[in-house]
Amino acid sequence: MGAAEQAVARLSEGPVVVTGEGVSAESAPAGQASAGRRVLPIVEALVLLIALVLPLVLQDYLTVFATRVIILALFAISFDLVWGYAGIMSFGQALFFGAAGYGVALLARDLNVTSIFLILPAGTLIGLTASLLLGGFLLLGRYPSSVIFVSLGTLTGSYAADRLARGWYYLGGQNGIPSIPSMSLGSYDFEEGTTFYYLALGILVVVYLLCRFLVRSQFGLALAGLRENEQRIAFFGYKAQHLKAIIFAIGGTIAGLAGSLYAFHEGFVWPNMLGVVFSTQVVLYVLFGGSGTLIGAVIGTVIIEGVSFWLSDNYRDVWPIILGVLLLLVIMFRPLGLISFVLGERERVGSFGIRPREKRDAAP
Amino acid sequence: MASIFAAAFEIVSFGAIIVLVVLGLGIIASMMGIFNFAQGEFVLLGAYVTYLAYSGGLPIWVGMVAAPFVVGALGFVLEALIIRRFYAAPIVAMLGTYALGLIIRESVRGLIGGFYLTVPEPIGGSIDLGSIHISAWRFTIIVITLLVMGACYLLLSRTSFGLRVRATLENPSLARASGISTPLIYGTTFAFGAALAGLAGALIVPVFSLFADLGIRFLIQGFVAVMVGGVGSFIGPVAGAGVIGTLSAALPWVMSPVVADVLVFVLAIAFIKFRPQGLISGKGV
Repeated sequence: MGAAEQAVARLSEGPVVVTGEGVSAESAPAGQASAGRRVLPIVEALVLLIALVLPLVLQDYLTVFATRVIILALFAISFDLVWGYAGIMSFGQALFFGAAGYGVALLARDLNVTSIFLILPAGTLIGLTASLLLGGFLLLGRYPSSVIFVSLGTLTGSYAADRLARGWYYLGGQNGIPSIPSMSLGSYDFEEGTTFYYLALGILVVVYLLCRFLVRSQFGLALAGLRENEQRIAFFGYKAQHLKAIIFAIGGTIAGLAGSLYAFHEGFVWPNMLGVVFSTQVVLYVLFGGSGTLIGAVIGTVIIEGVSFWLSDNYRDVWPIILGVLLLLVIMFRPLGLISFVLGERERVGSFGIRPREKRDAAP
Repeated sequence: MASIFAAAFEIVSFGAIIVLVVLGLGIIASMMGIFNFAQGEFVLLGAYVTYLAYSGGLPIWVGMVAAPFVVGALGFVLEALIIRRFYAAPIVAMLGTYALGLIIRESVRGLIGGFYLTVPEPIGGSIDLGSIHISAWRFTIIVITLLVMGACYLLLSRTSFGLRVRATLENPSLARASGISTPLIYGTTFAFGAALAGLAGALIVPVFSLFADLGIRFLIQGFVAVMVGGVGSFIGPVAGAGVIGTLSAALPWVMSPVVADVLVFVLAIAFIKFRPQGLISGKGV
């Protein structure tokens, strides 16, 4: 984690960095120096552009697959916020994803609720509630919890939910809940295909922009400090555990949104959605693409899902082994993920808050 | 009376299996501070080695004796090549060992296919105590677990090797200054933990049969047991494993298995939350 230590060193330059003044002082020369090579916006614009034109060139069944990838990217962002930005290892992120999926599936099955204006808020709310409860329990309290405890606690939560769903007849047991009706807007039904693709993409873009704003705000700066050195942030007077619980709940909320979209897109929910399988899958996406950058999570999802789709015909058995080897190599030699090949350390850490430009102009 | 005794035997024998699986996990977690996500796959490898020996026509016990040595040697190599890089960051170690576990598990899945392969018990039949029949092999597992547990305890508390391991755990730099080769100690400890997992896999494969997800089944239970017992000592994880194993085997007798399963995890996590140091706190053996 050499790069992470660099970031610690940056932050450890003292309280100067944490105050708004310090940011401008710190980032002013950086801004000038790197004016010509800001890679991140280019990468983001490129990805968005590709995503926008994709359904025009893809066949129908591939559009359906691309929609699934978009929804999983949303899920990956939720994990990236929690791990990449706040340093909480949530090994059970699928708990919120799957709980929301099951929740909206039950709404559709038992109460015939399929309106998009009820489904998506309901899923989001389930994700929020579940993550508030679990996060509050694991993170808050008189003594700060160890990272190991939080990661094992979330993993256990997700595993237990998986077992519960498998054994509970009301939730369909092993088979889950099949044939969920389509999501509707008035009399219009969202079938899988181009419309659903753009709906998912629109939601992804909105969530992405909100998250981007969040992690570049002063709150994001506090989170970055939390990730690098929790104790120091606590000494500055931040309530580190509260910050953690908040970002955990935000992550859970986004996972809930993704889960409810996923349930209606696939048309069924099954216990794996809650359990260790999806929980570790999302860890793979984010580590592979590059944790600590939102676009890294998206790119990681696209690459892993894309390659696995492409290989699944011929090399189905070998692919998980290759995936494991690649992941091990990334963890050992590229801890910041694939995105770090194009994105410099300075830009990854970035600057926070609104740059007080006029003040800088007035200074000389 | 007979049924109560049968139930008690079931509970004790399952508890013994969990203790056996957790022994290696606990030693690596306590003595090295690493939560080894590949531990379940070491169990799987132990089971696989036993199966290979059996399908190659050798007596089953040959495979069972060979399994800990094969898996231990592999653990030693993996520690030197990969695990060594992760000591500074426990979370990265989790992810790295997870990737390692994924590779091993999927390789074994590729080798055996999606089947459940059975290996017969080397000691078949049952022991009759009046009207009660208990499985001879499960009884053997209990005995071996007790023996291995005792041997590990003696190794860590009474031998100079154990002293070095504990010294390395408590203060690595002082241990180095006293002339102990800490990298070698870490390597040996990891190999020892892996060997115990291999032994566990070899012993339980007749009971559970061989399938690719054999290790995963015990991994989370094992982690929870280690946390409940308390990281940092040898006795802690063993005690935790006893409690978790007994609870998960006993609760299904009084309530529906699904609820019991989930309840054990919820109770365990709540317990750790309010007693983070675990059942038995403190360093040492």
